[in-house]
Amino acid sequence: MKSLSQTLLKLALLKLTLFAVLVALGAAGNASAQNPRIQTSQLDALAAKASQTVDVNIDERLMQLAAKFLSSKDDDEAKVKEIVNGLKGIYVKSFEFENEGQYTESDLEGIRSQLRNTAWNRIVNVSSKKEGSVEVYLMQVGNQISGLAVLASDPKEITVVNIIGPVDLEKLTQLEGQFGIPDLDLEQRPKLKPKRKN
Amino acid sequence: MKKFIAFGFMFIALAGLVPTARAKGDDFDAVVKLIEQFYQVKHKGIPFLARAGIKTTTTVARIAGGPRRQLAEAGSVKVAYFEDQDFKTSGSFTGFKASIGAALAESWSPFIQVASPKDAEQTYIYLRDAGEKFNVLIVNIEPREASVVQVNLSPQVLAKLLHDPDEMGKAITIDATNDE
Repeated sequence: MKSLSQTLLKLALLKLTLFAVLVALGAAGNASAQNPRIQTSQLDALAAKASQTVDVNIDERLMQLAAKFLSSKDDDEAKVKEIVNGLKGIYVKSFEFENEGQYTESDLEGIRSQLRNTAWNRIVNVSSKKEGSVEVYLMQVGNQISGLAVLASDPKEITVVNIIGPVDLEKLTQLEGQFGIPDLDLEQRPKLKPKRKN
Repeated sequence: MKKFIAFGFMFIALAGLVPTARAKGDDFDAVVKLIEQFYQVKHKGIPFLARAGIKTTTTVARIAGGPRRQLAEAGSVKVAYFEDQDFKTSGSFTGFKASIGAALAESWSPFIQVASPKDAEQTYIYLRDAGEKFNVLIVNIEPREASVVQVNLSPQVLAKLLHDPDEMGKAITIDATNDE
């Protein structure tokens, strides 16, 4: 009798542990699903074929530092200071190639698969044979925008920009050419129209 | 016995601290050595270093009176210069990028890395917290010359570097390595 109650107790404990593990896994999965930082290391293999590579990493601390110490008296810096205030990171990776055909769509799949996550919404998708394609994604948690990702590619170039924090398309265009963000010519693209995913 | 254990812990703590402190102080030299080993080159010897020391002083003084006053206020500058040597033929830039990343991984953060294999040009800017200031390490490699510059920047100047890394990175390197 005693051994049966012990077995039942053990079984109950095992179920409880299993439940706790599943809850923890679910929470971790949810947290990673809502993490606006996208992983780009899978593109690093392209560096060997590229004619130029650029890698920019500005983490939260550096971002706060820029927001705090850029001058409020200098007009240009004050403007930038206002834009970057609240941002938690800027990450840029770009590859330029001498010739076409140095990368394939499968190279970009690792980035796109992360952006297919339900937390990301594709707000811009422009594609042309001449100018290549630009996809802009926003991550929204509740009413708050928590990140932005740009995947721009043409036959000889790939650029991934990932901005963490409250940022929108307007802020992105204002940040072009600064903080290592390349000029994506977003304002120049006539066909650039916001579009909802699916 | 307790005393022995206490000494043991103290020794372990010190042994743990010393290499970290030494590694932190030697990172500039480690990067210079890495370039020498990777590209089979030599940075300039004592006469040049003496000149570099004077040059650094004059550079800082010049900057202090000039438009880039903020750099001089920032503090110390370390410079190593590789002149008229071959950086094109040996080693791949991806290999060098990995090596420098491994050498600095412990206490430095990569801020910007630009490589143009076709032109045999590479630029790396690494940052490290140094109390109220920041250490900035700039490595620039071109086909026939290279430089390693470490400067101490105030948060204000670092903010400008973050805002315009291309321009400020060039300005720091040119000011620290300019002979005039």
